[in-house]
Amino acid sequence: MKPKPTLEDLVGIEYAKLGFFREVQEKIAELSASNLELAKNQRHVQGILEGITDVMVVLSANLVITSVNKAFHAVFQESLPEGKHCYEVFRGLHEPCSMCPAKTALKTNAVCRQSSICAVDGKNHHFDTTASPLRNSRGEPCHILLLKRDVTMEKEYQAKYYMAERMATLGVLAAGVAHEINNPLTAISGFAEGLKRRIPRLEKQVETDLAEDFKEYVGIILKECRRCQEIVQSLLAFGRQTCSDYSSVDMNSLVHDTLKLLRNHLKQYPPELITLDLDNSLPPVLGNASQLSQVILNLLFNALDAVQAKGTICIRTFVDKETVMLAVEDTGSGIPSENLDKLFEPFFTTKPAGKGIGIGLATCYNIVHGHGGEIVVCSQEGEGSIFRVKLPRGGNQ
Amino acid sequence: MEVRKFSIPEIIFGRGSLEYVGLCARRLGAEKVFLISDPGLQKAGWVDAVTNILDREKLRWVYYGEVESNPRDYQVEKGATLYRQHGADVVIALGGGSPMDAAKGVALVASNGGRIHDYEGANRIQRPLPPMVFVPSTAGSGSDITQFAIITDVERRVKMSIISRTLVPNISIIDPLLLKTKTRTLIIAAAIDALCHGIESYVSTIASPFTELQSLKSIELIVKHLEAAVESRGLEHLEQLSTASTAAAMAFSNAGLGAEHAIAHSLGGMYDILHGMVHPVLLPHVMRFNCSVCPEKMADIGELLIGGRRRSRRLTALAGIEKLENFCQSMDVPTQMRDLVGDRSKLPEICQMAVNDACLLTNPRPATWEDLLQICEDAW
Repeated sequence: MKPKPTLEDLVGIEYAKLGFFREVQEKIAELSASNLELAKNQRHVQGILEGITDVMVVLSANLVITSVNKAFHAVFQESLPEGKHCYEVFRGLHEPCSMCPAKTALKTNAVCRQSSICAVDGKNHHFDTTASPLRNSRGEPCHILLLKRDVTMEKEYQAKYYMAERMATLGVLAAGVAHEINNPLTAISGFAEGLKRRIPRLEKQVETDLAEDFKEYVGIILKECRRCQEIVQSLLAFGRQTCSDYSSVDMNSLVHDTLKLLRNHLKQYPPELITLDLDNSLPPVLGNASQLSQVILNLLFNALDAVQAKGTICIRTFVDKETVMLAVEDTGSGIPSENLDKLFEPFFTTKPAGKGIGIGLATCYNIVHGHGGEIVVCSQEGEGSIFRVKLPRGGNQ
Repeated sequence: MEVRKFSIPEIIFGRGSLEYVGLCARRLGAEKVFLISDPGLQKAGWVDAVTNILDREKLRWVYYGEVESNPRDYQVEKGATLYRQHGADVVIALGGGSPMDAAKGVALVASNGGRIHDYEGANRIQRPLPPMVFVPSTAGSGSDITQFAIITDVERRVKMSIISRTLVPNISIIDPLLLKTKTRTLIIAAAIDALCHGIESYVSTIASPFTELQSLKSIELIVKHLEAAVESRGLEHLEQLSTASTAAAMAFSNAGLGAEHAIAHSLGGMYDILHGMVHPVLLPHVMRFNCSVCPEKMADIGELLIGGRRRSRRLTALAGIEKLENFCQSMDVPTQMRDLVGDRSKLPEICQMAVNDACLLTNPRPATWEDLLQICEDAW
């Protein structure tokens, strides 16, 4: 039973008409508390977003940038990307790219990944782009979150890794083949020598012209055998594990020594063809002198082939930061860009058959890498090429 | 004097003040009004008048008109459901005590939830109600002013009193023009209800100078204008009845009532009698019962009723009561209990119920149920 009202209840001094003011106050307090909480959460989320090192861009449905993260400004120059179209900012275009991952993501309402190359500050960068649709409450895509990861370095490393792996495989293969050929070749060459020694005895018993034929043929067999042996030797050199004895090598003297070796060969060229620009303060490198000499020889031969006595060749040594550099520059025919990628692959050659088996630069590559260095090429077709060999300076090892 | 309180809503008074109903609702933040009235007012065209005003004010509205005399609990709850379904925000009541009390119930249940029964008694409302704009169409009940709502519990056959300052409407718009369409019976019933409010609040144990002033003014105006208003339907008289009713409501909302209303509520719960029709039967007898404890105040009332003084206050008071009886009889309304209740044996039950009514708290003379029964017997 409810208590019966009292006189005090009727007078009701303590009871006023309930208004909404208190409710509003409570609501305001509640809202400002949840507002603080939201702001905290937002800072937290913002912190997470800023912590992401990939470039992050939010696009509206018509590909206008609505927001970017800090990483964007670290990579791209554009200081005020908001409000601009993504294709303007990323590519400098006036209309969307033909293969647009954002548009695909919008259309399919699913994550779209794409790998692309675009120029930043005139330098090509390789980006892995992920476009994820941001959905509204009805689950329809309304914005696109674009994540761009700069994978230029990774791609470079990856390419180098594949190259090294291929080199190693082919090296083993080449050495195996060389060994297999070497044995029958030795037999052929040995027996041909035997035949050659027996020719004087034969000369007395057969007609003169027949004896002459025999002499000529055996000579050819022996000459070709020697050629084969050279090829086999170069294959073996290419495949050899470069764990030879290292010593301190002065690259400048090595250049001079190598040129001395070639003195005879170079007589057919004008003397001013080869110039030297050697750094006298060049520190020594730790390496195998004969292998490094092989590198210089190979590069020089290639350069000679390229200039065909009409241009100049410059051999340069210098120090670049922690590396000793050797550069062979020519003003020759240059290398077509489509060949640049394949240049160091074994058995790739542009020389006519019989003039090379495409192992010279591959050998250089193996040697330089065996020394912990790097070999790179810059070339402009019709203007010449520069091969740079970077070697770590000896003092550091 | 003890600490007292006097609270009333904003009051807009005058001929044509109905026009402001839309503006008032808008000022209180209305976008969708819950309008509550009854079939009689709808028939008389007043509901349309209000909805036209709301339309003009570009307010959306929902109308609920299923309210009878002595509004029922289920009618209130149905209204509250409708209110919530339509997402209404401000309650406008147009009518006599029934639609207005029902509107309070709707506003209460819609905002505080539960059943209307949960709030029976005093000060049980915990949360604010939607803003309320009330337009009384009778000069009587005063529900547009007061902190009371009386709702019938159908199952228990009891009139529940819900008392809270929160039930005081925000704005009361009193337009005497609305009285023009009232029937004679309704005008009399309402005016006698108001007179009763004036008399009972005047002798109430918690009457204060602020309520006494209003009580006396209301009695004076009703005595002066009721007959003329019923006969001539003159707007000047009807307007005075409006003033009287409002003044009486201002008094009794703050001072409470007495034994007469306690019995009347009990009767109304059991017999569904038009509330105003109970007073001509009971009021003189209750006044006689109370006369001994407050002769001065009864004399004040008597003086107003007879328009003069007798030799003593007691005689003045009694003469006033007698005049009131004659006045009621002249109005051609039931004046004997037998006219209202067919079965005399029901009287004890009625009185046992009435003794629990909150109105009895402020009766100047404490009364047991037997005292109340004696009053009823006297009125038989």
